[in-house]
Amino acid sequence: MSGDPDSAADDGWGVLGELPGDLMMWVLIVSELLVFGGALLAFLAVRAGDTAAFAADQALLDQTAGAVNTIVLVTSGYCAAMASAARNVDRRDTARFWLYGAMALGCVFLIVKSAEYWSKAQLGIGIETSPFFTFYYLVTGFHALHVVAGIAILGAVARFDGERNIEIAASFWHMVDLIWVLLFPIIYLLG
Amino acid sequence: MPTRGLSQAWVTLAILSTATTLLTVQPAGIEARTFTAAAVLLLAGLKARVILSRYLGLHTSRFWMRTFDLVIGGFLILAFGLYLAGRTA
Repeated sequence: MSGDPDSAADDGWGVLGELPGDLMMWVLIVSELLVFGGALLAFLAVRAGDTAAFAADQALLDQTAGAVNTIVLVTSGYCAAMASAARNVDRRDTARFWLYGAMALGCVFLIVKSAEYWSKAQLGIGIETSPFFTFYYLVTGFHALHVVAGIAILGAVARFDGERNIEIAASFWHMVDLIWVLLFPIIYLLG
Repeated sequence: MPTRGLSQAWVTLAILSTATTLLTVQPAGIEARTFTAAAVLLLAGLKARVILSRYLGLHTSRFWMRTFDLVIGGFLILAFGLYLAGRTA
C-alpha cells in the first residue's frame, strides 16, 4: 500500500491506501489485537470477581523479568525497524546485521520467559493451578509462540531479503512488540 | 535513511518502560494503587502509540493514527474500568 493519499485514491483504495506497508499485514495486526485484547479484558473481568486470589497469584510473578523483557523486545523492534530502513536504501548487509540483532534479542526474550516458566514449575504452579495462572500461561504462552514465529520469519527474510519481505517481517515483529506492551502491565502490574 | 526518528522512538520506549517499572516499585495504599494503575495503563498506551506511529509508520496517515488512538484508548479505558470494578467488588 502506498503512504501517498493521492496515489492511493487513484488506486481506488480510499483511506485503506493510506496504511503504510502491506494491507494483509494490517488485517493480521488488527486481528491479533482483537484476540489478545479480548483475552486481557476477559482476564480483568474474571479478576474483578476474585481480586484477592488474583493479587496473591500475581505476587508470585517476576515483575523484574517482565520489565527486562519489555526493554529486550522494544530494542529488538528497533533492530527490525533499522533493518527495514537499511534495506530501503539497498544496504543489504547492514539490514541482515540488524535482522540478526532482532532475532538474537527475540531469543533472549524466550530465555527469560522460559526461566519464568521454570521457576513457576519449581513451585508446583501449572496452567490448572488457578484462574489467574490459566490466563497467565495461555496469554503469555500464545504471545511467546508469536515470538518463536517472528524469529523464524526474520530468519527467513535474512535469507530472502527482498525490500517487501523485510518490511512485512518487521511489521509482524512490531505487532508482537505492541501486544507485549499492552499485555505486560495488565498481567504483571495491575495489583 | 530515516533512522533518527527510529532512534528517538527507541529512547522514548526505553524511558516509558523504565517509568512504568519505577511506578510499581513502591508498595502503596489502595488510593495510590488506583493512581498507579491509571498511570501504568496510560504509559502502556503511550508505548503502543510510539510503536504504531514510528515503528509501524502510521505517522504518515492522520486518519489511521487517530483511529488506532481511539481503539487503543477505548481498550485501556475499558481495562481500567474493569480494574476499578475489582476494587469495589
